[in-house]
Amino acid sequence: MLALQHVTKLYGSVIGVNDVSVELGQGAHGLLGPNGAGKTTLLGLITGQLRPTIGTVRVFGERPFGNPAILARIGYCPAADLTERRATPQEWVTYLMRLSGFQPAAARQRADQALDEVGLTEASRRPLSTLSKGMRQRAKLAGAFAHEPDLLVLDEPFDGLDPVARHDLVNLVRHWARDRSLLVASHLLHEVEALQADLAVILGGRLVASGSAAEIRGLIDALPSEIHFRTDAPTELAERACRAGVVETLRIKGGDSLIIGTRQADRLAAIVAEAVQNGITVREVIAADRTLEGIFGRLVQLHRGIEA
Amino acid sequence: MTDDHSATAGSRHGPPLPGHWLRTAAAVMSFQLDRLLTKPRLAMALIGAIFPAAVMFAVIRTAPLERNMAVVMIYALIPEALCVLGLLVTMCPVVADELERGTWIHVAVRPGGRRSLLLGTFAAAVIWTGSVAFAGLLLTLLIAQVTQPLPLAVMFLGLIMLSCIGRAALFTLPAVILPKRALIASVGVAFVVEYLAGFLPAVVNQLTVSLRLRSLLVEWMAWRRELPIEMTLFVDDNPAVVQVVAVFILVGVLLAVASFILNRRQFPPSVEG
Repeated sequence: MLALQHVTKLYGSVIGVNDVSVELGQGAHGLLGPNGAGKTTLLGLITGQLRPTIGTVRVFGERPFGNPAILARIGYCPAADLTERRATPQEWVTYLMRLSGFQPAAARQRADQALDEVGLTEASRRPLSTLSKGMRQRAKLAGAFAHEPDLLVLDEPFDGLDPVARHDLVNLVRHWARDRSLLVASHLLHEVEALQADLAVILGGRLVASGSAAEIRGLIDALPSEIHFRTDAPTELAERACRAGVVETLRIKGGDSLIIGTRQADRLAAIVAEAVQNGITVREVIAADRTLEGIFGRLVQLHRGIEA
Repeated sequence: MTDDHSATAGSRHGPPLPGHWLRTAAAVMSFQLDRLLTKPRLAMALIGAIFPAAVMFAVIRTAPLERNMAVVMIYALIPEALCVLGLLVTMCPVVADELERGTWIHVAVRPGGRRSLLLGTFAAAVIWTGSVAFAGLLLTLLIAQVTQPLPLAVMFLGLIMLSCIGRAALFTLPAVILPKRALIASVGVAFVVEYLAGFLPAVVNQLTVSLRLRSLLVEWMAWRRELPIEMTLFVDDNPAVVQVVAVFILVGVLLAVASFILNRRQFPPSVEG
């Protein structure tokens, strides 16, 4: 369905995407990365808004840029808020359907149906300016899939949604992906996991990992976790951990800070518990790299071949 | 990572049908006209329509105008000034407005969306500005109290429409090349191309709308024989049909070039929205 070969996109001297090669088949795929990682640029290349500086992008076997036959098969929901304020969701989605080539009556019918699916029927005749960000997000989503594309591309689709709406739309999108293709970009791992999608992780314009959610988690688990301790006796705690053979990396900062990199967090936890029972005071334990940035950082380490 | 289907196999979406771009351009036109129907825009249109009549009123209060002089004034005020000003406001922001509203991406990812945006906005700008100019013309003719106003109204309607389509097409180029500076660039184009090159007695003025409009005015008012010899340098002596065809050729070329450029424009995500 989608093939990128050594794709690089430069904006002058700024790199948007750096030497990305990936092939994705039909199904649901998640593009995961922090803000500024290059996700939107990559989606821009896939949806035919941008041309690669180097490399080739092929969607359904053809280049998407300036290719109406391919663009007709893609639905795109961008991350940017919709500031078309005067039109109503119904007018807006109808307009998009007419741009997709439908006759006015058919366009209106599709718009109504799509707005109904995203739960926006009641608000469909209110100006967009009077709607919440979440409602505008739904209107954008309706505009993206109302023409029944073969590939639905969503950029941060659940931003600004309340938990109930998020749940509903995750279900809607997951249902969509049963017999069609879906590509969702997000900086939230759980959002992409909820879609039961395969994952590709992008950072600094580079694709640093790809595979199923389980494979990505496996990769993450294969790298040492960095755990920060604040303790009165960092040296003694470090000695105990080293004797137990659970330490991959170790740093002592100041008088009370100890950072241990380990692949055996469970065993380290037991050692720390034992140390506490023996009178060592541990004031704080933080698994710093369980944050998203930490996970991305560790995937970058893996991508660069840094094992420990 | 499973199947790989081609652009045609198994698709519910074939390539766009013939006439697709006409339908989509009509959709854009209707949407853009709807966007223009706001109170501030209507107020601007009203001011625009009243402006030439007010100027005419101020002039005829000081001294009565003979018919030919009134025609020259109407020509300068409406097909030249009012149409150009109206198109600067309606045609120039064709891309910049979409980028600002965050709607560019939605349009750019539709098949033929970019071209439809250009053509639809072009049509909306011509209709809107043409309507304002025509209303201004009727008011001005009423104020000027010229003899035989009906033939003048018909002639100026033709000049207004040609001015609108010609200048709207001209402004598409700065609008797609320099979207963020389209207004300034278009003012520059209007002065340099229309009012400087247009008055140069050289080949370059053949490529301007202003030469065609002046020549049509002279032709339709049957002024050619009365023109002083030095003034003949500023008009083309081909028949009216040649002038009209020349405007349409110019419009076709300008729109084709603008469409070509717009189809290849890329805006980084930071520019959008």
